[in-house]
Amino acid sequence: MKVTNPLGVHARPAAMLVQTAAKFKSEIWLSKDGNEVNGKSMLGVMTLAAEMGSTVIIKADGPDEDKAIEALARVFEIRFGEA
Amino acid sequence: MDTVTVERLLEDRRNQFELAVLAGRTGLKRKILNAEIHRPGLALSGFVERYPNKRTQVLGETELAYLNSLDSDLRREVLERLYRLDLTLVVLSKNLPPPEEMVALADQYQTALLSTRLSTTEFISRLSVYLDTRFAPSTQIHGTLVDVYGVGLLYTGKSGIGKSEVALDLVERGHRLVADDVVRITRRSAEVIIGTAGERLGHHMEIRGIGIVNVEKLFGIRAVRQQKRIEVEVRLEMWKDEVEYERLGLEDKFTTVLGTEIPLVTIPLSPGKNITVISEVIAMNHMLKVYGVHTPREFSKALADEMMRRHATAQYLESDTE
Repeated sequence: MKVTNPLGVHARPAAMLVQTAAKFKSEIWLSKDGNEVNGKSMLGVMTLAAEMGSTVIIKADGPDEDKAIEALARVFEIRFGEA
Repeated sequence: MDTVTVERLLEDRRNQFELAVLAGRTGLKRKILNAEIHRPGLALSGFVERYPNKRTQVLGETELAYLNSLDSDLRREVLERLYRLDLTLVVLSKNLPPPEEMVALADQYQTALLSTRLSTTEFISRLSVYLDTRFAPSTQIHGTLVDVYGVGLLYTGKSGIGKSEVALDLVERGHRLVADDVVRITRRSAEVIIGTAGERLGHHMEIRGIGIVNVEKLFGIRAVRQQKRIEVEVRLEMWKDEVEYERLGLEDKFTTVLGTEIPLVTIPLSPGKNITVISEVIAMNHMLKVYGVHTPREFSKALADEMMRRHATAQYLESDTE
């Protein structure tokens, strides 16, 4: 997914992603430039420091993996609710 | 794994190794592909078969004295045979002045020619350390690393299981946090893996219900450390009735991290269990094993010996017809 909001994945977007991820049973990973972190880990997602224009890859494995990816992609699409 | 260009080496170590670029600037973009270093002694006399051209070439006083003993034409010929092999990088030690043929060849074949103030031996050993670190395999995992009585315990387990809370409790008891949530692991040697916190992470920690806290600021410098050898993995998981947990500890279990085997302890969580004290016991038990004391084995041997002795006595008495 491309990060399209000017501020990038800062604290609040990271919290949105992590809270969304935490709703699912599946294991979820986010990665940027080969740096992979647990998608349910606040500090992990924050330390990706995904700036505007960067690409974040979402991976999920588990019973609800498709739904998880869909929901997380949606969070990126709505630009974390930011302008 | 990092890619190390000659340029990168200069950026990182120009001051420490007192490096200077003498010629072949267009070769600065070349990538150093392995951590090995070579002194081209034999090749200077003309034998260049099986030549390790990808290694960093270091020439010291001996090599230069030999080159300077040759007449100019021969020196050029000898050196060109070497440069034609597509060398990655050539370094002269002790700030020795390069023969002018070398400067010309460095430019012509686009191989950087550097000088260092260090002696050949010192330069080789320090460059090896630098390159070994750069080429060491590394990875990043989801977990928490704490130094407990000097033993590096790596906690793993599902998000939200309480790794950070255990770490916090350990810090409160005087142990030291290395990294929470994201642990960068580098393999130093076949047996040694080192964990550090990522550069942005530092000693921050997320506690559910509170948010992000800074352990170094809260507990002071004694509560943290920058890096620690990882010695035991402690896997935390929810208690499952159907799983048989370790009761005896006679057989040690192992897990592989970055190709290195380390002991693995799986701890099932249930209400009222004090993981902090268990962690301290895991650390102390590991130290005991390192010192050659394996409690379950000793206990079991003592038991076996006693039964053997009793059996022997019984037999003796039985056969005693007196």
